[in-house]
Amino acid sequence: MTSSDDAKQNAIEITRKELDQFPAPVLERYEIALEKLNGRLADETCQLWAQEGLEIASKTVRSWEAAAEFFDASVAVQRQLPSGQFLKWAKTGTSLCEDSPSLAVAYFKSSPKAMLRLRPRYIDDWANVCRALYRGTWKSSALACRLFEATPDLLETLSFEEFCHFGEFLEILSRRSYDQAGDALGAGIDLFPKITGDVDRFINLAQIVAEKSWRETAVLFDSATASLVELGAPHRAPLISLARRLVITGVSDAAGVLRDGANTVNRVAADNRDRLLEMTDGIAAVSAPAAPEFLKTVPEILERVTFDQMGQWQAEGLRTARESDEAAVTYFKLESPASQEMLDSLSSSIELSRVRDVIQMYCLALTGRTIDVQAAAALAEKNIGWFQGELPTTEGTTIYMPSVINRYTTKDENFGFFKVISTHQIGHIEFGSFAFDFNIPSALFDDLRPRLPGASELKAAKAADEAEKKAALTPPQVVVFGHETPSDPVPAATEPVDVEPREFLTDMSRFFDLFQERRLALDAFTVLESSRIDGYVEELYPGVMTMYDMVRTASLESRPDVTDLPAREALVEFMVRVSLGQVDEMLVPSEHIDVARKLRKLIRQVTSVEALVEDAAEAAIRAYSILIDVKNEEIDDDDFEQLEPEEEEDESSDEDDVVDPEEVIQQFMGQSSPDGEGEGEPEEGESSEPDMDSEGEGEEDYSSPQEVDYRGEFKPELSQLLSQMQMMENGEMSESGEMEPITQEQLEEMMKNAPEMDMEQTEGEEGGDQEVSEMIENLMKELQKRDPENQQFQPGPSQHVDEDGGPLTATEPDTFTYPEWDFRANEYKPNWCMVHEKIMADGEPNFFRETLAENSGLVAQIKRQFELVIPEMYRKQKRLEDGEEYDLDSVLEALIDLKIGVSPEEKLYWRRNKNERSVAVAFLLDLSASTAEAIDEAKKPSDDWGAPDDPVEYMVWLRSRRSEGLRRTYKRIVDVEKEGITLLVNSLEAIGDMYGIYGFSGYGRENVEFYTIKDIDEKFSDMVPRRIDRIAPLHATRMGPAIRHTAAKLNEAEARSKFLFLISDGRPQDRGYSREGVEKEYAVHDTRQSLIEARNMGITPFCLTVDKAGHDYMKTMMEDFSYEVLPDISLLPKRLPQLYRNLTT
Amino acid sequence: MAIEQKYNEQNIEDYYVEKEPFYVPTSDEIDIFESAYRQRVPILLKGPTGTGKTRFVEHMAWRLSEGLTARNPGAAAENGAGEKLPLITVACHEDLTASDLVGRYLLDADGTRWIDGPLTRAVKAGGICYLDEIVEARKDTTVIIHPLTDHRRSLTIDKLGSTIEAADGFLLVVSYNPGYQNALKDLKHSTRQRFVALEFDFPEEEREAQIIAHESGCDSDTAERLARLGLKIRNLREHGLEEGASTRMLIYAGRLIKEGVSQRRACQVSVTWGITDDPQVQRSIDEVVTSIFA
Repeated sequence: MTSSDDAKQNAIEITRKELDQFPAPVLERYEIALEKLNGRLADETCQLWAQEGLEIASKTVRSWEAAAEFFDASVAVQRQLPSGQFLKWAKTGTSLCEDSPSLAVAYFKSSPKAMLRLRPRYIDDWANVCRALYRGTWKSSALACRLFEATPDLLETLSFEEFCHFGEFLEILSRRSYDQAGDALGAGIDLFPKITGDVDRFINLAQIVAEKSWRETAVLFDSATASLVELGAPHRAPLISLARRLVITGVSDAAGVLRDGANTVNRVAADNRDRLLEMTDGIAAVSAPAAPEFLKTVPEILERVTFDQMGQWQAEGLRTARESDEAAVTYFKLESPASQEMLDSLSSSIELSRVRDVIQMYCLALTGRTIDVQAAAALAEKNIGWFQGELPTTEGTTIYMPSVINRYTTKDENFGFFKVISTHQIGHIEFGSFAFDFNIPSALFDDLRPRLPGASELKAAKAADEAEKKAALTPPQVVVFGHETPSDPVPAATEPVDVEPREFLTDMSRFFDLFQERRLALDAFTVLESSRIDGYVEELYPGVMTMYDMVRTASLESRPDVTDLPAREALVEFMVRVSLGQVDEMLVPSEHIDVARKLRKLIRQVTSVEALVEDAAEAAIRAYSILIDVKNEEIDDDDFEQLEPEEEEDESSDEDDVVDPEEVIQQFMGQSSPDGEGEGEPEEGESSEPDMDSEGEGEEDYSSPQEVDYRGEFKPELSQLLSQMQMMENGEMSESGEMEPITQEQLEEMMKNAPEMDMEQTEGEEGGDQEVSEMIENLMKELQKRDPENQQFQPGPSQHVDEDGGPLTATEPDTFTYPEWDFRANEYKPNWCMVHEKIMADGEPNFFRETLAENSGLVAQIKRQFELVIPEMYRKQKRLEDGEEYDLDSVLEALIDLKIGVSPEEKLYWRRNKNERSVAVAFLLDLSASTAEAIDEAKKPSDDWGAPDDPVEYMVWLRSRRSEGLRRTYKRIVDVEKEGITLLVNSLEAIGDMYGIYGFSGYGRENVEFYTIKDIDEKFSDMVPRRIDRIAPLHATRMGPAIRHTAAKLNEAEARSKFLFLISDGRPQDRGYSREGVEKEYAVHDTRQSLIEARNMGITPFCLTVDKAGHDYMKTMMEDFSYEVLPDISLLPKRLPQLYRNLTT
Repeated sequence: MAIEQKYNEQNIEDYYVEKEPFYVPTSDEIDIFESAYRQRVPILLKGPTGTGKTRFVEHMAWRLSEGLTARNPGAAAENGAGEKLPLITVACHEDLTASDLVGRYLLDADGTRWIDGPLTRAVKAGGICYLDEIVEARKDTTVIIHPLTDHRRSLTIDKLGSTIEAADGFLLVVSYNPGYQNALKDLKHSTRQRFVALEFDFPEEEREAQIIAHESGCDSDTAERLARLGLKIRNLREHGLEEGASTRMLIYAGRLIKEGVSQRRACQVSVTWGITDDPQVQRSIDEVVTSIFA
């Protein structure tokens, strides 16, 4: 052993001894490290190293842990560093330990890994960056430690320089909040690897945000993680720079800019992205606050215009933006009119909401029925059997259309598409798709319907048949159908099948019950019926055909390839194509080319204005009977061939049926019972074997053809059911007498069997049943709403008879007594009713203002109409005793009279009389409880029944409802009355007529409430709008006394023409005024009597009612008086001023 | 040199309907009118504008004249004109007074001269007096016709202090349009119950097409389309339109089409713009027009 060895050994011993003072791990680790380092380090270095460890350990009470870590890490670190650097590393640790041992622990711990990525000369800097976070507190030390720990990870993607920046950022942020800084650190570790290349830029942005509004850094990291990552690398840099610029100029929401920006950039086509960011930059340069708004609006804009058009819109916006930031913001938020107009003029898309009224009126004109027009999503939302949110459809009373059309480049074409849809959809209504009657004979075919057995009948019969067949081995086809008269609805063969005939809710259901494979039948019927409608449209509305053809051609282009489909589907697809007008390139399976010819002929036959819906049904039977024989098997592309274009077939061939009716009947008879020689099992099916579960080999499940966009979802059974209910409500279903109320069971039965429901069944699988029952529930509600029985007004508490009692005396102020007319006794009951006059309480003036603002179009229109009245006020008044000038006619007459010796008229003057219009009018509003009814059933709050239970779905549902906008808010009759009054008041002020507005309600004869909203002689003031606001439904409707009181008020007014305008929603009714039987009459007669009294005072009464059933009693009540029954309550605000004008001029 | 007379002027009681006015009956109105005329029961024609009320009266005046001629062919041969039924039409307006109907004194160089009003002349001549849109006239005027409408069949002229008994052929026919919702312009019951009432409405589609084709001379396809347009527009009654499109309107459109105006344009000017000022309703009607006409 050399002396140096001794010395070394000595030093080690000393060190050992010293280290031994510390907890055991220190020495242990030292020994382990020493063993490994001994040969690798120079003795001197090794000594220094050991010294360093000792120094660390002795720094503070807890620093022994750091020393242990130091020894631990030394082995690995030493491998990375030359000895000089190695000692420096150790010294750095020592100095960290002076600050805080835990810093040193973290430093040493992460060193081995960090050294892999860190250049030795940066060790100090690294330690300093981390140390900068330490401010002597526990939290700061934790943060600094975390940064040490994270360093190896961070350095994997960050350069050291970037790391320093990040550290700086953390330091800045940590001054505000250690937690935020900690989170940012965590987020950064996740984020940076995903945005390599832009890290420095982002950190820079983050730093600015940290300085400006440190609270937002967390959001910034979140949104960066969410959006920047998705964004392609080339667009990150400009977006981050943009955000940075915006943050610097004071738009603090960097996170939003990144989020919206990324979102928007991803929405535009790849080659437009740069331009989009340039545009945004351009805006930011002019008006920083507008730029983020622009980014937010872009998706909405692009739904309506192309990218290039948006460029124009943006350029226009830049001009506006120069004016002021506010202008820029509203412009780019799409809130300023200029902005919307600009977009409108650029956009070719059309929103349904904009053209809804026009379409609605168009539909009304074409069908003669009030057809509601709604966004298609609304029907799907109702969940009564329609599922597609974007396809047009109808359920017989409403047509549903997509909410926006942006298929074409011009507005005209897009509107044209709306027109095509509506013409086709109401075609179903106009040309009677839903008026299908099982028993009406078709016009073009021999009727097979009455001769075919119902599938359910057959099924029921099967069991009975079986038994019979065993007895007598008679094959079923022995029965000769040909000798049956077609009109006989019960073929002999079904005789033994004397099961109870099934009840069908609709004729359509009965029709589909004929088929085993309802799906196929429905598809065939759908194509044929749609063709029929198209045929009518072509003949009757040639004006839409240009557009129609365009739409059809486009539809054809998006059809699936026939050759990809199995045989039966290919043939159905072939039908669809024929119906869409395709002539050439008709590929059909070679094997079935004859079938195709027949199908084509059927379509051609029903495409005519002679065809009825029953013809489509007959054709569907034929198509079905042909198609069911075609196996739905895959066919090679080679086995398709082109069908020759249709020849100009001679007329005579039109007469021929494509099928032999007798064969069809045979086929249908056999469809569920075994065919042929009395075999019990349905396996050998050469004629037909439609059972889903016993398909032949190679046969595929049949699925329906892809929908045709303009035809949409056609659901004949449901639609017929719904429109029947509607018709009953309108009293149009007289011939079938009263219909029994539909039960839930019946509906279930129908829904189960309806082919149109199949989709749900197969898609929903397990959830299917529940969904169906939910749907049925919804449908029941829908039906109930349409059921006239349920629409009747629920009479209030009117059990109490108050025929007893005597006359009343008005003792309190503002009470008045009036007699009542008893038509049975034919005399008045004196002082029978007490009217309490009150001034309506004050409400908010907003309703008035908002109503005027919302209806600004209508307001202008009414004003214009009313202005036409004003000149008449200055009409020349003749035959006056004094005036501007002689009236020539009168003077001549006077002269003549003088000559013939009669005493002449003295009224010889005329003048323009300004006060000629002298009108006093009192509006009497029915405030009965029934005015609380919603005006539009579909908009009732109770349509919440469609709400899904699942919270997530509920939110989606809710949002979609919200997006529907204000249109869906719940409006009551009384609200419409209020609106009407508001509009009228506004216009009346313009003409200057005297008017009063009153409301009445009450309960019982002692309590007729009479509310003054504006007295006749009262000046219009701010109070009037406030009082209008408080108009609300109250109790009952005792019209008589209210009319008498109003008449009394009018009687005092000084005007030449006086009008009493009664606006009500139903028959008069009150306790002891309107009970069933005779008292209904009582109220009507008393009201009538009060009107006669009014007329005797020189007052012209007019009654406007919104009660659809109003015609019956109004005839009695208003005989000799004018009245109007509004067919649609929503017309009231528009109609009221019109009526007023007509009535008083 | 005398100016060539380009017009045709005659006294009102000399106005006969010479040529058969084209009229397509919708039901038994011709029989009813004839029966009522034989019994001299006054007739009230109700119906919206442009449904052929005036045309019907003209047609009946002609038809009844023909009947008279047929019954008395000798007279026809003798004086060349035969016995004919004059038709005197008065369009009522809100300033129409009783003396406008009955007559008045006029000043004259020598003093005054009485001149009969159209009603008086009709009463004397024994023709049909047709008061068009009777509700438009002042209320007091309607009262003077009362004695003419019952068994008295007489007209009292208070200024002359005389009563004229109507000549045998006289019949009062009035028309009104109940469509206007105007409380001030309704026929009084005391008046309306003196007439047998014939209701007029727009003819059914096929018949209307026939009328349009005949009256305008346009081809039958166009006429059918115009009739369809009329039908569709009438669906908008009370939903934005106060009155449906009259047959007259459709005939005008037909005439313009015959003159070579494009179908859509002809409908626009004679139907759409004529029927309403409401831009939205116009737009909707335009859409119907452009659907029906290519």
